[in-house]
Amino acid sequence: MLQIIKTEWLKIRNYPAFWWVMGITALTYPSINSILLYQYYDLVQQKSAAGQVVKALLGNPFAFPETWKTVAYFSSLFVFIPAIVIIMLITNEYTFKTNRQNIIDGWSRREFMTGKLIDVVILSAIVTLLYAVIATIIGTLNTTKAGADKWGMAYYIGLFALQTFSQLSIAFTIGLLVRKSFVALAIFAFYFLMLEPIAVNFLRIRFHTEIGRFFPLNVSHKLIPRPAFFGRIDEKAYQESLEAVKYHIGYTLILVVLTWAFCFWVNNRRDL
Amino acid sequence: MSVLQIENISKSYGKIQALHNLSFNIPEGCVFGVLGPNGSGKTTLLSIILDVLKADKGHFLWFGQPGSKDQRKKIGSLLETPNFYHYLSAVNNLTITSNISGRGSKEQILEVLQKVKLFERRNSRFSTYSLGMKQRLAIAAALLGDPGVLVLDEPTNGLDPVGIAEIRELMIELNQKGHTIIMASHLLDEVEKVCTHVAILKKGELITTGDVNDVLADEDMVEISAENMDALLAAMHSYPGEIKLQQQANRLQLLLPKGSANLEAINQFCFSKGIVLNHLLFKKKRLETKFFELTNN
Repeated sequence: MLQIIKTEWLKIRNYPAFWWVMGITALTYPSINSILLYQYYDLVQQKSAAGQVVKALLGNPFAFPETWKTVAYFSSLFVFIPAIVIIMLITNEYTFKTNRQNIIDGWSRREFMTGKLIDVVILSAIVTLLYAVIATIIGTLNTTKAGADKWGMAYYIGLFALQTFSQLSIAFTIGLLVRKSFVALAIFAFYFLMLEPIAVNFLRIRFHTEIGRFFPLNVSHKLIPRPAFFGRIDEKAYQESLEAVKYHIGYTLILVVLTWAFCFWVNNRRDL
Repeated sequence: MSVLQIENISKSYGKIQALHNLSFNIPEGCVFGVLGPNGSGKTTLLSIILDVLKADKGHFLWFGQPGSKDQRKKIGSLLETPNFYHYLSAVNNLTITSNISGRGSKEQILEVLQKVKLFERRNSRFSTYSLGMKQRLAIAAALLGDPGVLVLDEPTNGLDPVGIAEIRELMIELNQKGHTIIMASHLLDEVEKVCTHVAILKKGELITTGDVNDVLADEDMVEISAENMDALLAAMHSYPGEIKLQQQANRLQLLLPKGSANLEAINQFCFSKGIVLNHLLFKKKRLETKFFELTNN
């Protein structure tokens, strides 16, 4: 296993696209949270009555412990950026036929796929670490209340990690099946940004069904509910989304296992 | 002892039968050439024995055991094209090969790069290499850790004449040290120079296999010429015994049953017909000739 990790890390750490995309992610995550943070301050610092109403309504979603959820929610909307690296890492293997060379050199197909699983784990860990650092910084800078429960909602680190891993696994599966980088990227982006959100909302509005929560990305999307201030708008829906988290942990774990079982099966069956 | 036993292997791609019931053995310590025209199934066969493709039927045994990852680790291989990470240097690419196969140390990586004359460019990205350099790197990867068996698919692809000669010498040297080399090639001249055994494929079927000398020497070939080629041709039609005549530009080729060519008798026969030969040569049949005969090309 150590030898597989060493080999995969050697492949990743020298891949320029990995550092480019990590750089973009490292800029995007703090940027999007900072933009929302400044907008929040713009609103609540108004002396007007409206400003004070907003302040009372929103609370401070960027203070501890709420910041863990708020930053997780907004950061998770940009998982398609690290997904680019995941798709490139698998499709490159097919483009340059290095997957077959790895097998020829002595890996089993299972070991090759284990290596790719490790890639997704490594990237998920890096993205989660980035999220945790940003949430910590934002929380520290915005918590004014003495004795705030700093680690009260830190379990969102685990939920964010699981969600990221699950969604990157879906991106990986598309790369594995399609094998062409730009086609796979286009399919994932279209599905992530357009198809699934439209399908989920269409089913909910048109057919009054919540079946969309079992769609591949939405299963893990439900792990991180909207920030608490949304609850002021629709308290019932907010409480339901919090209640659903524990179920979606199970659904997501099942989906992750099925996804990787499918990937191992596909790789084992087909000619290289 | 056989290094590789291939038994009844078949493989098809949809309706196209790439290999059909292929069986032969590759003895230890030989240089074994797998020959055949384009589409004859050479690369498919090598891909199956390296577990890149799965056979529809049949099986193969490496060192008497079913193929496995542990056996592949002992085999240095170059299949079809040099397959490396385009953004990694030669050293890093060979480090990956070494990590996976367990063959070769850091020092040996530098040694093989020196052997294939890539040492100066060892830290350059693979994507910056010429076709010949890529091929050299693939050969370096195959040589890493000095494996006892090498599987080389078109090893001289993209190499210049000097590079081709160097690879030929390398193969002869490795074979003398006891390595077994299995190679597929279109360059029959190269194969003839280095191979001790061959298998000739056509449309996925085995046409012939065995020791190169046995495969080639199925009949004797004698080349003759004289001042008057027309008279010579007419005279040779009455030569006693089984004989086939092939007229070339200024030579006449005589094909006789194996072991029956007698240069003295031919010379005497011509002289008795009033023809003085100015050229009389016993020729070994070229692999190219035999290949064309067998594959009807």
